[in-house]
Amino acid sequence: MASNCEVEPGAAPESALVTTDSYENFQQMSSSLEEIKNSNFTSSTQDEFLDNCNNIDSDLHVNCSTVSVSSQDEDYIRDEEWLGKSKHIFVLSSAGKPIYSRYGNEDRFASYFGIMQALVSFVQADDDSIRSMHAGDTKFVFLFREPLILVAVSKTEECTSQLTAQLNYVFNQIASMLTLSRLVKIYEQRRNYDLRRLLTGVERLIDHLLDFSEQEPAFTLGAVQCLPLTSSVRDAISSAIVQSCSKIKNLVFGILLANNQLITLVRMKKYCIHPHDLHLIFNLVQASESLKTAEIWTPLCLPRFDASGFLYGHVSYLAEDCQACLLLLTVERDAFFSLSEAKQRIVERLRRGNCLEAINESLNTKEETCVDIGFPELRHYLYKCKSTAQFHQPSMGAPYTINCKRLLDLYRRAHYRLHCPTRPLKLLFERTSEDALLAWDTRGFELYAILEPLTDTGNAIATVGRLLNWIKKREDKLFQLNAPTF
Amino acid sequence: MATRKKVLLKVIILGDSGVGKTSLMNQYVNKKFSNQYKATIGADFLTKEVIVDDRIVTMQIWDTAGQERFQSLGVAFYRGADCCVLVFDVTAPNTFKSLDSWRDEFLIQASPREPENFPFVLLGNKVDLEPRAISSKRAQQWCQSKNGIPYFETSAKEALNVEQAFQSIARNALTQQNQTVDLYNEFPDQIKLTNTTNRNSNGDSCAC
Repeated sequence: MASNCEVEPGAAPESALVTTDSYENFQQMSSSLEEIKNSNFTSSTQDEFLDNCNNIDSDLHVNCSTVSVSSQDEDYIRDEEWLGKSKHIFVLSSAGKPIYSRYGNEDRFASYFGIMQALVSFVQADDDSIRSMHAGDTKFVFLFREPLILVAVSKTEECTSQLTAQLNYVFNQIASMLTLSRLVKIYEQRRNYDLRRLLTGVERLIDHLLDFSEQEPAFTLGAVQCLPLTSSVRDAISSAIVQSCSKIKNLVFGILLANNQLITLVRMKKYCIHPHDLHLIFNLVQASESLKTAEIWTPLCLPRFDASGFLYGHVSYLAEDCQACLLLLTVERDAFFSLSEAKQRIVERLRRGNCLEAINESLNTKEETCVDIGFPELRHYLYKCKSTAQFHQPSMGAPYTINCKRLLDLYRRAHYRLHCPTRPLKLLFERTSEDALLAWDTRGFELYAILEPLTDTGNAIATVGRLLNWIKKREDKLFQLNAPTF
Repeated sequence: MATRKKVLLKVIILGDSGVGKTSLMNQYVNKKFSNQYKATIGADFLTKEVIVDDRIVTMQIWDTAGQERFQSLGVAFYRGADCCVLVFDVTAPNTFKSLDSWRDEFLIQASPREPENFPFVLLGNKVDLEPRAISSKRAQQWCQSKNGIPYFETSAKEALNVEQAFQSIARNALTQQNQTVDLYNEFPDQIKLTNTTNRNSNGDSCAC
C-alpha cells in the first residue's frame, strides 16, 4: 500500500486553485493577496468544529407568540409541513431582523428571529459564543459573522462542523453579491437596515446553493471536478483563451465550465482562486437560466479572493451548439466591450481547432461506472488530489442510482472521520450489511471507496491499489495538470 | 424582481414593570385583555402586520421585562430598533418619573445615529382607572421637551386609543426607514491589483 501512496494521480507542480485542507477555517476571508498566500501556511484553529454543546444559562427566558392578521394557514407554529422540514436555514441581522429563510415567508415568523438574536447575544454578553444546541435529534447550529447571524436547524445526520460550513457558504454567497466591506458599512450606518431590499433575487441563489451543497461531493471535499478531456484538447482551449485575451489588461481569471465541471482555468500570474469561490461561481451559473440566452456583465465579489471589492465578470455560453459557460473576470468596471470581443475571438479559435466538438463529445459521453471500468467489487469512489484541489468520481452505479443520498451521507461521515479535529484517522475501513467503505488520507490525496459489503480487508486494499494505478494512467484526461496564465 | 417592497420594523416597548406593556401588546395583537398581572420574563416577541399608507408593514414587537433584574439583556435587545415605545401608568407618578431614565438608557444602549431625531412614542396607559396622578398636560410638556414625541392616552383594558397609538408607532418607525441613504449607489471599492502585486512582489509564495 505504501508504494501506491506515491502514485498520487493528478498531482501537479502548480495549480490554479488554492489548495485546501478540507477542515481549514471556513471563516477566513482574504482582503489582500498577502493573506491568500499566508492562508496556505497557517494552520487554522479547528476548535470551532468541535461538537460542543453549549448550555444556555437558565436565566434566559424567551417567550414567543406569533400572530398575524392573515389567515391561520400561515401560522407556521402549527404548520406540519414547515415543522417537518429536515433542515431549516435562517439568516438575520445582528439586530434580529429577518433576512432569509429557506422555507416559508420570514415575515410570518419574525418573532423567531428575535429569539435567535436573543440567544446569540445573550451568550455574547459574556464574551462567549454559542455554537450549537442539541435537543433530541435536532441540532441548532449558530454562526455569527459580523454583521450577520446564521442559524441551521437540522434533523439530518450532518455534524455541527458540516452545518457550520454550509452556513459559511451562505454568508459568502451574500458577501459575493455585496462585498463584505459594503455589508459591514451598511450596518455601521444603519443598524436597523432591512437587508432584503438589497437581496431581491439573491434568495434564489441561496436556495440553489443549499440544495447544490447537499447534492455535490465537491462541497464536502473542497475541490472541483474537471470535465474529462485529452490534455492536448485542454491545452488548446487554454491557449485559445490566453491568445484571445493577450492585449487585455487586468484580466484576472478566465474560467470555462460545463455541467458543473471545470474545463479550464486561466489566471493572471501569481493569482489563484479558492475552490469555495469557484463553487459560488458554479452555483451562479447553474442557478441562472438567463445566462443561456444573453451575455451578461455582472459585478461579483469572490470572498476568498478579495472580500473588499468586486471583480467584474463577462459571462456567456460559448455557442448555441456548445453549452459550456465562459467567465472572464476583470477588475475593470467598464471592460464589457473588449471582453465581449475577446469572447468572440475565443469561440472562433475553439471552433477552428475543433475544440467545441471535443467538449460536446465529452459532455455527451456517459461517464463510466466502476463496473464498466473493470472494478466489479467497487461501487463508487471519490478521489481528491490535494495539490490541485481537484477530484474525480465515476458515474453513479447500482444500488445508489436510487438512493444517492445514502452515498453522500456515507462520504460526509467518512470525511468527518478523517478530518475530525479531536481524533483524525488516516485510514478507515468499515463494513455494514449494506456496504463496505474504505477511506484513506495521505499527504497527496484523499480516497473514499464504497465496496460490496462482503469485501474483506485484503481485497479492499488490493482494489484500491489497482484503482489508483487506473486513475494515474488517465490523470492527464481527468485533471487539469497545468495552471496556464495570461 | 422588484416586486417585494416589504418592510419589517423592529419596535421596542419600554417602561416600569406593571404599567401594562404586555397588556397593550395583547390588546393590539390578540384583541384580548386580562386583569391578572403576569410579569414578563426576559422578553416577549410578537409579530403583527399593518398597512400604513398602502404599504404592508410587519411589526416585530419586542416586549421587554420592566423588572430591573432583566436589564442586563438590554444591549442586545435595543440594537437596531426602528422605534421605541415608552409606557407609563397615569395613576402611578413613579412610572412617569422613570421615563427619562428609560429614554436615556435606550439611547445609550442602542446608540442610534441621530439620537435627537430617533422616533419615540409615549403612551400613558390605564386612563380607565382613578385617581389620575399625571395630567395629560404634564405628559404633553414632557413630550415637548423631548423634541415633540407623539403622546397617546390609552387603556389596554378598554382598547382605547391602542390601535391609533400603534398606527402612529408604525408611521414613525417608517420615517426612520425611509431616510435610509442610498447605500448601494455609491461607487464600490475597486480591487487594486497593481498595489497588491507590488506589495507581494518580493516573495512569490503563492502556493500555486
